[in-house]
Amino acid sequence: MSKETKQIMAMGDEAVAHGAIDAGVKGVFGYPGTPSTEVFESAAIIIEGKNDGRIARWGANEKVGYEMALGASYAGNRSLVTMKHVGLNVAMDAFVNSGITGVHGGLVILVADDPGMHSSQNEQDSRYLADFSLIPCLEPSTPQETYDFTRQAYDLSEKLDLPILIRVVTRLAHARGPIDKIPTIPPVEMGIPTDNPDKKWVLIPANARIQYQKLRDKMPTVVNEMSAYNKIEYKDKKIGIIAAGMGRAYLDQLCQTEKQLTEHSRFDVCAYPIDNKALRKYATECDAVYVFEENYPYIEDQLIAFTNEAKIHGRRDDTVPMSGELDLLKLRKAFSLELPEAKSKPGINIPNRPPRLCKGCGHSDAFNNIQEAFKNIGVPDPRVFGDIGCYTLGTLPPYNSIQTTVEMGASLGMALGAGHVGMDPVVGLIGDSTFFHSGLTSLVSLAECKGNVNFIVMDNRITAMTGQQKTVAINIIEDIGKAVGLKDDQIHVLKPLPKNNEENVAQLEKIFSHKGPDLIIFRRECIEAYRKGLYKKLYPSE
Amino acid sequence: MTKVLDKAQGIIVAGVGGQGAITLAQLILGAAWKSNYHCLQSEVHGMSQRGGAVNAHIVFDSEPVTSPTIMEGSADVLIGMEPLETLRYIHMVKKDGHIISSTSPLINMSTYPDESRVLAAIKEIEGVHLVDTDDVSKQLKNRHAGNVILLGMASTFLPMEHDLWNSIFEERFQIKGEKVIQKNIEAFAFGRNLINT
Ligand code: SF4
Repeated sequence: MSKETKQIMAMGDEAVAHGAIDAGVKGVFGYPGTPSTEVFESAAIIIEGKNDGRIARWGANEKVGYEMALGASYAGNRSLVTMKHVGLNVAMDAFVNSGITGVHGGLVILVADDPGMHSSQNEQDSRYLADFSLIPCLEPSTPQETYDFTRQAYDLSEKLDLPILIRVVTRLAHARGPIDKIPTIPPVEMGIPTDNPDKKWVLIPANARIQYQKLRDKMPTVVNEMSAYNKIEYKDKKIGIIAAGMGRAYLDQLCQTEKQLTEHSRFDVCAYPIDNKALRKYATECDAVYVFEENYPYIEDQLIAFTNEAKIHGRRDDTVPMSGELDLLKLRKAFSLELPEAKSKPGINIPNRPPRLCKGCGHSDAFNNIQEAFKNIGVPDPRVFGDIGCYTLGTLPPYNSIQTTVEMGASLGMALGAGHVGMDPVVGLIGDSTFFHSGLTSLVSLAECKGNVNFIVMDNRITAMTGQQKTVAINIIEDIGKAVGLKDDQIHVLKPLPKNNEENVAQLEKIFSHKGPDLIIFRRECIEAYRKGLYKKLYPSE
Repeated sequence: MTKVLDKAQGIIVAGVGGQGAITLAQLILGAAWKSNYHCLQSEVHGMSQRGGAVNAHIVFDSEPVTSPTIMEGSADVLIGMEPLETLRYIHMVKKDGHIISSTSPLINMSTYPDESRVLAAIKEIEGVHLVDTDDVSKQLKNRHAGNVILLGMASTFLPMEHDLWNSIFEERFQIKGEKVIQKNIEAFAFGRNLINT
């Protein structure tokens, strides 16, 4: 370690924050989502301590977060935007087109994928979205690489005039290890763009066609630049290994004990797009190729496309299971290595211990109110369109109160659709943060709906599930209801406390029986956030 | 002097969200780091504040470490803060590995098996060292002693120098004051003695 560097202990997510800040980032944006949340949170803490003009702001959703980062880039500053993998779907429009416009100040997108679905609805692989958008992607495998790649991504972004996506997965985002840091540079200030002959930022078709062609023409340069991160080493060509991201981490670990594996040829992928020619040559020259990547067969399918499928070993031929995370055991099995001898499993059945609502959480009172009201008005098998937040746990016993959870905001959109085709009564249930993220646009159409459609907002004025972040707005939901055309008697604010049970149930009976749209707001503090004193801290003027 | 390891050491800490599994894991990670080992820790969290199963892996070695997770059947030490959670990860431990477990159950689910069956199952395991953390914490008049007692027990199977642990507590609990540091050092020593005597 030179005296310039300093070693600290950091999680993968924190390493991203340090990398961005050390590279002179000025604006950090995002929307919370496990396992990406800690990037923003640790950046915010570092920024608070620095007081040198940097800022960190949550957006109402990932699209807004992305646009804020793009705006900061336009204004001549380096920016970072963070989200989980499914958040990139929400930001997709901005993401794709920012590849066409290009950037001014360096723009880095941190996307945390969740293979194994530890806390997600799917295990989609962000490398496809980067590929689709012609946006380069870096894929680190350790906290140190995460720091280095993020820091370097800013120069790369400005050099290539493109955003750079940093892709991490849960096991890296939440892996803690020592990182060597170099000194921070102050926020970069480039000023707003002056020389703009192509009007690259105005994507009317005439400009967009030019910009898009430029992007296509630039791809060989991009491939060239990114290939500097990928390492090809030809050794014994009977077996060639290709490893990317955590696949590389596990392979390196395995090589510590299984030295014979180091005799094989090896292609380490840390950056995309991959040089197709090099990949094709490797696949042709090696007799058999093993691919370890997290987690869709992205590289593997490229190989299969231009070589004999039978010699490619990965997810497609079940050398590694198609779904789920990689781990050391799966790699050992792939190479038919001896498996460790474990202690035998206990003789008794171990039931799952799922997370549960905190004791005394207002959500549980709300669920009890809803169930009781349904029972009293004679709805024997009530259905509730649910959403994503702590309250999703209401699907578990003893509540059994959520029948669907699809994506952010789906509760209200699905409730509207079901109401339009005649389902009665209909309930869509959403939290306040999720409401501002993707529910607002459905509320706009509620008043004109003729059906018995009831929107319930579980309003604890915080983004509770991801660790209690600030919600973009508070205390305005009923005003929005009025603004979109709901009458006073269609808007109801209830407080979910045990002592209010009877009163709330009576109200809900009336509301659910009313053959028209209603907006119900269950408003009470998240007790976790309350205990931590977060309301005072986050909303000091309240 | 730091002991040179001939292979990577893998430790798993298991508990229920809110019990402090991640904090305990970080103490071990810190000790490995201070001993100049290469080290990584993996933790899965997100919704853990609400009473679900939580675990953390720590891997350290004299050689570089790149996998933050431990392979099934190869953990050297499992620290279970709750007996059912200990049982959940038994298959992660190598055949001659050590298991340090609390016998004090945390029952926050209707499907929790009969307590006596849980205890019987855990006693059957080879290489298991048990302690009733609730009871011992009362003895030591330190409500938070449980985890550090487990750590003290586990430390007898770890290569770090004894003195190093005290400095870890000093660093970690500095902001909480000298009394808290001493309480932790005491609980740690108590745990160590349970195995050493
Ligand atoms: S974190 Fe808050 S909202 Fe979530 S379950 Fe706990 S009390 Fe309820």
